Amino acid sequence: MLTVCHLYPDLLNLYGDRGNVTVFLRRCQWRGIPVRLWEVRFGESVDFTKVDFLFLGGGSDREQQLVVTDLLPRLANLRQAIEEGLVVLAVCGGYQLLGHYYQTAQGEKLPGLGILDLYTEAGEGRLIGDIAVEVQMGGRSQILCGFENHSGRTYLGRVSPLGRVLRGFGNNGWDGTEGARYKNVFGTYLHGPLLPKNPAFADYLISLALGRRGLEIMLPPLPDVLERQAREVILRRLRLRGS
Amino acid sequence: MAGGKGSSLPGKVVLRLFPQALETWAQRLNSRIIVVTGTNGKTTTNNMLASIFSSLGYWVVTNWEGANLASGLTSAFLRSTSWKGDLSCDWALLEVDEAAFPKVIASLRPAVVVVTNFFRDQLDRYGELDRTVSLVKEALLKLPPTKLVLNADDPLVVKLADTSHPVIFYGIGVPVRAGKEEEPCREARFCPYCGRELQYQYYHYSQLGAYRCPGCGFARPTTQVEALAVKILDGHISCRVRVGDRVVDCELPTLGFYNVYNALAVFGVGMWLGLPTEVIARELGHYVPATGRLQRFVHRGRPVYLNLVKNPAGFNESLRLLSMSSETKDVFIALNDNEADGRDVSWIWDVDFENLLPQGSVLSFVCSGKRAADMALRLRYAGVPLRKIEVLPRLEDGVRAALAGQGKSVYFMATYTALWPVEKLLRRYGKEERDADRLPSLS
Repeated sequence: MLTVCHLYPDLLNLYGDRGNVTVFLRRCQWRGIPVRLWEVRFGESVDFTKVDFLFLGGGSDREQQLVVTDLLPRLANLRQAIEEGLVVLAVCGGYQLLGHYYQTAQGEKLPGLGILDLYTEAGEGRLIGDIAVEVQMGGRSQILCGFENHSGRTYLGRVSPLGRVLRGFGNNGWDGTEGARYKNVFGTYLHGPLLPKNPAFADYLISLALGRRGLEIMLPPLPDVLERQAREVILRRLRLRGS
Repeated sequence: MAGGKGSSLPGKVVLRLFPQALETWAQRLNSRIIVVTGTNGKTTTNNMLASIFSSLGYWVVTNWEGANLASGLTSAFLRSTSWKGDLSCDWALLEVDEAAFPKVIASLRPAVVVVTNFFRDQLDRYGELDRTVSLVKEALLKLPPTKLVLNADDPLVVKLADTSHPVIFYGIGVPVRAGKEEEPCREARFCPYCGRELQYQYYHYSQLGAYRCPGCGFARPTTQVEALAVKILDGHISCRVRVGDRVVDCELPTLGFYNVYNALAVFGVGMWLGLPTEVIARELGHYVPATGRLQRFVHRGRPVYLNLVKNPAGFNESLRLLSMSSETKDVFIALNDNEADGRDVSWIWDVDFENLLPQGSVLSFVCSGKRAADMALRLRYAGVPLRKIEVLPRLEDGVRAALAGQGKSVYFMATYTALWPVEKLLRRYGKEERDADRLPSLS
């Protein structure tokens, strides 16, 4: 039984990012992998070492701050789970709050959780549009496509980027990096939501979660016809060949 | 902006040459102006008002085409202006985009302002919705005393009441649909004053309902216009409405529950202006929907409905219509991502297809428009079997496929820029039904 934890669905709920949770659950169910969803709301207790896939979406600055105050007392438990290989997907605001801090346009530094060695600064103008990123997954190169919409510019310290920007802005619009990866923690600016149009990445996350439980299995393929069609629309628009 | 009937071009030209145009016209009307703003329901409320004012013998200017930015308003005035610049109308009934409201409201100086609701539109951040509400409020604070008509069931709208303007509140005072279902896109879970989670006795949809804050006591205010009973019947809605101390029955020739709110807003305006309540009730019974507001067509003897979908709250309401009859049906959804639709289509993942789709009675889903495949993908992950889903990006192909379905009725839903092309196709293949008289209009 895999346990999916959607953290703060009531606070971090922008841009349809809940779709990532839906896709993870469905792709397990379609293959007969037992899976359950655990929605953890503000103030509710949670043991992260019991979770297999943790999802953090985006929220406004105010909501992100609430989330950080709620998570700080449980940081040790979360860190332990991450060191043991917990699979985490954090999008946009959820990604930013895994870093050291977010500096607002007024110069105020809002503390993050410090799990990823990165920081974010509010920039002038939002970075909006379709985006394509090249990532390495299990030794293979893949293209992730999505939509980005953020005013924060993220700068990486000693942490690997999730991938290389092919089209769009990515972390900050100039260094060509997008997202970050530490162990099985993935942070990204890609909405769309990310997983529906990137089924290979969704399956990669499922494999990592199963692997952490000692299950090294080949996932049976699914008929991803619509997934491919939806990807094609974006990749063609960005003048990239489908993958 | 996108093409279609909502033309703003002449208005843009005039505004450039004569920036004070709106203000000048407004002065000539001497505040005989009603402004309707909010996220959903502007066009319908405004059209309902227009038909009532016309039946009372007034000449009205409206921007009924949904051109609701400054340029569209100017275009509307232009159509009623002679070559000498005389304005030949008694009242201007204007729907104003909630984001444009702060910019134009000072020039208009309306007698009455109606605010319908505030929902997240497509993908606006909640923070931006918060900001929209604040900007509307600030704009109201700068106006001389203006009569407000506010939706009491929306805590975000009720915030506008502390602007010291006189207010008529309207609302639906009884639970209509069973169950306190949890929706994924409630905009205002928290008290706008103290931040505590609001408690609901019941809610109608999204954040609309009977709420109370356990922290500071903020609660749904007492209403002057209230639906006392709402019955959703086959093809129409019957409601009993209290307007001040009078009670009137009216029949709305629509399937859309949300139109009850629009009708109540109209009663609220009527109350401020002293319009005869019976006339309002009668005219609402003849109400003809605007393009894509649950417009009805007939194709080979089958009913065909067309509805605009532009944000999760409205899309959820459109889906609820599918469950109102258990007969078989085909469903068409056109999803575009042009500027006017919103470039990002992620918002469809906030629509509650999982709980609201009556999958048993829908025979086929045709997905069309530029992002047809994204729509199809959303349906697949909501549990719709692949064999029921067809992807036809060209609108013409999609419309024809949906009309060729085997269901007893066909439901078309389209985002903004797909709406007019789809309507045109439906007119070509079917016949628009405008005989609201087939219903008993007044009970």
